[in-house]
Amino acid sequence: MSSKSILSRLGQTIFILWVVTTLLFFLFRMMPGSPLAAYIDPTMTAEQQTILLHQFGLDQPLWTQYWLYMLNMVQGSLGTSFIYKEPVASILLAALPNTLLLTLTSLLIAYAFGTLMGALLAARRGTWLEAVTLPAVLATRALPEFWLGMVLLAVFSFSLGLLPAGGATSPGASFPSAFARYVSLDYLRHLILPSLTLAIFLQGLPTLLMRSNMLEVLQEEFVVMARIKGLSEWSIIMRHAARNALLPVATALALGIGSSIGGNVVIESVFSWPGLGRRLVEAVSGSDYPLAQGAFLMIAAAQIIMNCVADIVYSTLDPRVARR
Amino acid sequence: MTLPQPTRRSLLGGALALAATPAHAADAGDAIRPLVLISKPQATDPAQYQAAQLCMQEWRKLGLKVTAQVLPATQQSSLVWLSRTKWDMSTWEMVGRPERSDPDELTYSLFHSSLAENGYDFVGYKNPEYDRLAEAQRAEEDREKRAALVKQAQMVIKNDQPYIYLVYPRRSMAFNAEVWDQSTIVEEAGIGIRNFWTFLNAKPLGAQKDMVLNSPQPLSYLHPVHMDPIGSWVSDLIYDHLMRVDVKGDPVPWAAESVRWVDPVTVEAVIRDGMKFHDDTPVTLEDIQYSFQLPQMKDKTPQFYPNVANIASIDISGPRTVTFKLKAPQSSFFTSTLSKIAIVPKHVWKPIADQLATTNELIENHKDEKLIGSGPFKFVHWRDPEEVMLARFDGHWTPPKLERWILRTVPNQEATLGMLRNNEINFLAIFTGDPQNIAELAKQEPKIKVVTTTDLGFQFIAMNLRRPPFDDPAFRRALSVSVSRKIMAAAAWNGFAEPAGSCVSAALPFWHADDSLIMGGDLAAAKKMLVDAGYTLSGGQLHYPPGRKEEITAG
Repeated sequence: MSSKSILSRLGQTIFILWVVTTLLFFLFRMMPGSPLAAYIDPTMTAEQQTILLHQFGLDQPLWTQYWLYMLNMVQGSLGTSFIYKEPVASILLAALPNTLLLTLTSLLIAYAFGTLMGALLAARRGTWLEAVTLPAVLATRALPEFWLGMVLLAVFSFSLGLLPAGGATSPGASFPSAFARYVSLDYLRHLILPSLTLAIFLQGLPTLLMRSNMLEVLQEEFVVMARIKGLSEWSIIMRHAARNALLPVATALALGIGSSIGGNVVIESVFSWPGLGRRLVEAVSGSDYPLAQGAFLMIAAAQIIMNCVADIVYSTLDPRVARR
Repeated sequence: MTLPQPTRRSLLGGALALAATPAHAADAGDAIRPLVLISKPQATDPAQYQAAQLCMQEWRKLGLKVTAQVLPATQQSSLVWLSRTKWDMSTWEMVGRPERSDPDELTYSLFHSSLAENGYDFVGYKNPEYDRLAEAQRAEEDREKRAALVKQAQMVIKNDQPYIYLVYPRRSMAFNAEVWDQSTIVEEAGIGIRNFWTFLNAKPLGAQKDMVLNSPQPLSYLHPVHMDPIGSWVSDLIYDHLMRVDVKGDPVPWAAESVRWVDPVTVEAVIRDGMKFHDDTPVTLEDIQYSFQLPQMKDKTPQFYPNVANIASIDISGPRTVTFKLKAPQSSFFTSTLSKIAIVPKHVWKPIADQLATTNELIENHKDEKLIGSGPFKFVHWRDPEEVMLARFDGHWTPPKLERWILRTVPNQEATLGMLRNNEINFLAIFTGDPQNIAELAKQEPKIKVVTTTDLGFQFIAMNLRRPPFDDPAFRRALSVSVSRKIMAAAAWNGFAEPAGSCVSAALPFWHADDSLIMGGDLAAAKKMLVDAGYTLSGGQLHYPPGRKEEITAG
């Protein structure tokens, strides 16, 4: 992909981000109900309510609020949360590592499993393995996440007592630093069930995608040539066919990272995981405009940026795409 | 003042009368517009939603057209509190808090006419007779006489029915009896076992010395002069008060050795000797004085200002004595002020207040990272939204027996019960799912002990008295009489509720007027009351009394 094309793609990304930001700003203001209802105590006098409105900038005309919002945004400020009275960016950044670790671990498990299983299913087409596995994969894709999460909780936590039922660390656990917390065994133990649930839910796409790509690739002439050359079946499948079938799976992975960041609301609620999804739910239910806007923007930005990355990576991996 | 007690014959007559109202009564008023009842969504509050459905079902039988408008909680609050002329009826709840164990807050604030425009009297109830009683109970020093006034006030409300009281919910909480000595877990009237006295006295039986509790939602803020329902559990342990509400609901001296009324507007408190803050500095009389001056900055601490608004001055009047001069007599002062205001270190808060004095920032929004109090627990960390942790303060004059108090946020209610079962939490502080599930769990696991308590709070239907036909007490009474509280408690609250008749919960028998209850469910009596008040049924629709026009457009 030429640098001109990359710049053009980046320009499009920035434009879309601006549109999303603007839409989010106005959509939240169109919602019925005042955000102050969640905050104002009815014993406050009208004067005290006015002070609060002024403090949150809600006494300004809508366009002034929008202008200030965009100006702050360009300077990297997402405003102050109505509920928590803290900068939105710091609230979201505190939750982001938990969401990223959950998402990336799940995607890693899902795509590693899906790629291998997809390749295997293609290689064993028409066997009992395909007859059993394919419906199972389809079923796991159709399962509601909360149900799957509750089943895993009931088995591994409540019945067997092997894994904790919620949170990211044990009650009262202390760590010298945030990094020490994320790499601790305690954190990893807490990560197992939510990431496994999400991985089971996510593995269907890479498995089916890889299988269908492999079935196509296995018909290609270079595979026939490899067989003529007498290479082992393992070598043909994994070293020749699978590598060529991986391209769409890599694209799906990039998009999956983007969409999964915002798509963990259910998993995070089932496992009390302190991530971005739960912040989003709290913000929307509490009419916390700045926090909700910030959370949606972060999720949208992740999706848009990962789309852009996928485009660029795809063009780099397959130059035919860039030439089209 | 009591409601008429109709005889069997008059009831039958009344029922037939409304049904037999001439279809085209020439002198009937306008047809009553379709009315709207606001309710929270079923997913958020199934009991309130069900209650709204049950009420509407009965009111339609009276000839009313009633529809439900389902709104999320914040939108419902926004409409009801901030747009006071734009709604007809709404489901509502007043929650139980320890300071509400004194009846003054609810008796006075909910119905005093001075608070109808912008205050707590959001339905717009105005009755000079009620105002007189509410003011008299506030000024009355004699407890027995005051109780009589409070009960009279409840009976006035029974007659006027500005609210249709539904139930006092019964809340279930639980603990692991293998971890905690059952005899040290105490129930506070109207609050339950999740209370200060339990946290102070709970005695561990074995190696597990940490109390791990649950909350379905994270805290919004932790602050000595800013409270949210969950945050108040925590700040109550970090900060001491001159008095505390005991398990019976009465205020008792705490950080004060003794408190006494010198005259109807003067209170003298002798402060306990040798108290320390968590930063090891002594609690001085200047700290006590400043603790009550801080919330008096009404533009900086609006939430707590009402609790100190009646204080004219606070003086240090002896080596260990502070004297409060009140602007007017206030019988609830011990509960609503001395048991509510947190003792804060002046050396921490004065510099903050001085710094914020010239800005738009509120003191109540200032985030204090250290949260230094003088209470029996000291703050350790707040890992938002995962947990808040406190530790025993050994420098307290009554240190707790448990070591650490850890409040975990667990939004998944079913998982909460699983966690209680496998000891990830050992104290179920709140459960918003079906209470029957806790009872089932206790049957399966003998180590789990459940305590169910009638709440200080209550559930009701608020009617907007600014809008006809709700400006007519007879109409309101008829609506109230048609609703069965027994069915309400059984069907909407699954049996975990008690029929309610007043804003003073049955959990407070000393203050509660038993006669205030309208059990309801009597459709015939309701119809008769409407007929007696001049309402007529025409074409299946209820009409105003003769000559009365519909003033409001539906919707």
